[in-house]
Amino acid sequence: MGRFLLKRFGLALITLFLLSVIAFSSAQLLPGNVGRNVLGGFATPQAVAIYNRQLGLDRPVYVQYGSWISHFARGDLGESLEYKVSVGSLLGPALVNSLKLAALAFLICVPLSILGGVTAALRQNRFTDRAITITSLSLTSIPEFVTAIVLIVIFGVALKWLPVTAQAPPGSGFFVQIKYLLLPAFALTLVLFGYIARMARAGTIEALDADYTRTAYLKGVGKTTVIRKHVLRNSLLPTIAVIATQTGYLIGGLVVIEKIFNYPGIGQRIYIAAQNKDFTMLESGVLVIGVVYLVATLIADILYSVLNPRVRLGGEAE
Amino acid sequence: MDRESRRRLEEFRREAGPIENNVIDELAEGELSRSDFIKRASMFGLSASVIGSALAALGEAPLAFARPEAVKAGGRLRLGIIPPPTHPIEPILFFDQGSLETGGICGEFLNRTTLSGGLNKELATSWNPNKNATVWTYKLRPNVKFQNGTTMNADDVVATYKTLTGDPSSEALAAFKGVLSPDGVVKVDNETVAFHLDSPTAAFPYLTSSTTYQAIILPSTYQKGSFVKTAETTGAFKLTQFTPGIGAKYDRFTGWWGGHAPLDGVDVTYYSDDAAVAAALLGNSIDLIGQIQFATGRPLFGNKNVQIFRARGATHREVCMRVDLNNQLHDYRVRQAIAYTLDRPAIRKTLFNNLADLGNDNPFAPAFASTDKSVPQRHKDIRKAKQLMAAAGHSKGFSLTLTTEQVGEIPQLAQIIQRSVRQIGIKMTLRILTETAYFAGSQTGPPSGWGTTPWLNTPMNITDWGSRAVVNQLLIAAFESKGVWNAAHYSNKKVDRLSKSFLGAISITDQHKYSKQIELQLLHDTPVIIPYFYNYLAAGSKKVKGYKADALGQIYLSHTSLS
Repeated sequence: MGRFLLKRFGLALITLFLLSVIAFSSAQLLPGNVGRNVLGGFATPQAVAIYNRQLGLDRPVYVQYGSWISHFARGDLGESLEYKVSVGSLLGPALVNSLKLAALAFLICVPLSILGGVTAALRQNRFTDRAITITSLSLTSIPEFVTAIVLIVIFGVALKWLPVTAQAPPGSGFFVQIKYLLLPAFALTLVLFGYIARMARAGTIEALDADYTRTAYLKGVGKTTVIRKHVLRNSLLPTIAVIATQTGYLIGGLVVIEKIFNYPGIGQRIYIAAQNKDFTMLESGVLVIGVVYLVATLIADILYSVLNPRVRLGGEAE
Repeated sequence: MDRESRRRLEEFRREAGPIENNVIDELAEGELSRSDFIKRASMFGLSASVIGSALAALGEAPLAFARPEAVKAGGRLRLGIIPPPTHPIEPILFFDQGSLETGGICGEFLNRTTLSGGLNKELATSWNPNKNATVWTYKLRPNVKFQNGTTMNADDVVATYKTLTGDPSSEALAAFKGVLSPDGVVKVDNETVAFHLDSPTAAFPYLTSSTTYQAIILPSTYQKGSFVKTAETTGAFKLTQFTPGIGAKYDRFTGWWGGHAPLDGVDVTYYSDDAAVAAALLGNSIDLIGQIQFATGRPLFGNKNVQIFRARGATHREVCMRVDLNNQLHDYRVRQAIAYTLDRPAIRKTLFNNLADLGNDNPFAPAFASTDKSVPQRHKDIRKAKQLMAAAGHSKGFSLTLTTEQVGEIPQLAQIIQRSVRQIGIKMTLRILTETAYFAGSQTGPPSGWGTTPWLNTPMNITDWGSRAVVNQLLIAAFESKGVWNAAHYSNKKVDRLSKSFLGAISITDQHKYSKQIELQLLHDTPVIIPYFYNYLAAGSKKVKGYKADALGQIYLSHTSLS
């Protein structure tokens, strides 16, 4: 187990290094001049050159990369070129916001999807199965901005049950914050439900057909126990992998949802940084999301290995 | 006319200069309508009592003052601003809507442009020109406190204006370049400032008003970069918190010279999506939206819980065609032909539900008193357009790229133009950039060139222009040969000369004389197509009282309350 984790951690570090190189290089490729963008169109070329020199942008790219990554490793994310404040002070709250929304969406979506998928598998080819499969597939195929707007119109504008913006007023308590986050979390649930439920359904059907399940039944074990101990434990393995891969999307890829619900998450911050050529914010934001994504994947790997001994014992068995 | 009105008017005329007397003569001789008289009289600094006396003396309806609404004090207004500021909040660098709205809530100017196009006193109590409008003397309001506790005086105004006109990065140069230089800003005494202009400018008081949104008066000790860190303006509200891209918080300034603002404060939330901000108002998450577009805010129109605030002004789009390139657009007949393909009334109906004035391919908006309205309106005429194309040797058409920005209804306008010019054989490709990409690069302006920015250098483009209270800035920056925002690179010595004459003209008759010639010349040369001047629109819930939209988008909340 220890060796397995060490190996996964090492791979995560290599991935992070590659991601930092890609993020830094991509930002360099964006058209435009930082000094010109900050100082405005009327600034003289001399003033632009001086500004760029002050920022160290006249140094070779690899020196700039080294300086940036070493500062990042020490927790110094630099200063936003657009807003003239530390990137950490902007990305920190944005990341917390994104984590809050992702956590609530997960809490609603994962149990519902697994329940839906397993129920569909247990009622395979019957009405319940068809209803769950068709509904989930339809919901997944509807773009999230459409789902979000429909939810806003029904629950926010017509019924006025829930707030249409996701950002709770400053100083709001836990339950008020939950109330504000419900609509975007529902929108995400509707998008992810079909994906996770179908994986859970497929895994459950496969496990139900497996030899060990048949053996358990032949040994006279009760249906509930077979499902709980043998079917679910095996059927959820691919589902966990899918859920882990959705973490990156839920943390940094919710630009559309964040825009529609006017939620200041990290996805929107990075999107605006890319639009406005705020390189320091863009590079650090991408890397922060990368770190979160890798941590989530690592946790999923650990869970996977706990549920599936073949994974953690693979090396030793050889 | 009552004896008291006559006495006051005669007394004023004895002491007034030729410019002030000329305005009254213009009303007496029927050259000015009542509303245009009020606009021009306030521009030349005539007091309300003199304006009222003049109207009464000359048989016009007296000045009407709206009875103040019963105001309920207290409460915090929840305001949605779209889009968020794209740069640090620094007045002299304001050029985007989010920044000017954020700064304008707490900032004040020497005077303020009103909804009807007149001028109200703000930090100046009077302004008077010399006889040829080359020197304007402003008397400052006494006992005005900055939010840092110091008292405003002439040194502060001089320092502010020297920065506005002297800092090379100042966006206010678009208003003041060629009009006012740093050396022309002179302190007369502690409460008086004189502006010695580079050239005669009859409408100068408008340039010191809220229409030049960078001209917020700041203390002489103000340090660049401290606007969001320390409250140092004079307005009814002080900025107490600013989170980039998220929102801002303002609290009532108890030392405001204007007394006690009804609201306790203002909580601003920034939005970057039209649907989100409209839903927020409909869902009661905010009380007021600073700016809405008809095309993207349709659910708000006709909703019984929403009130729409309108301001007729000069907000417009300029379809600029480079006249200096070696391509088809070099020929004025091709430019005219393109202009003749547009069905302007249909465009106005589609994009604005008729909440706009038709444009006539020159910057003189119908809302300006100085516009000569006898110049015929250009209409769609495909036959004439085809004749012009044939005369220019392009009867089979050609290919062309139109570059523009993803702002408001502009992409839809670009598509309409694309469809329209197809009728005369022009195959138009659209290149729609983000706002940031469109304005990226340098824009140093002539004589050293227009830099590298797409909006001043592409062969044909569409750019958004905010409203102005007078045509001056639109004319100088976009149509004079040395205009810093002359995207068509248009150069016509006759127009330059006429423009100078127009800007210095005192009487409305002279202004009409020059504006007519400029309008006709621009119709002929057509370096720019201006299809419409649209109304500025804002929206609020029914509980918002005492708010008025501003044609430029300033959000003035000092007298606003919540029911």
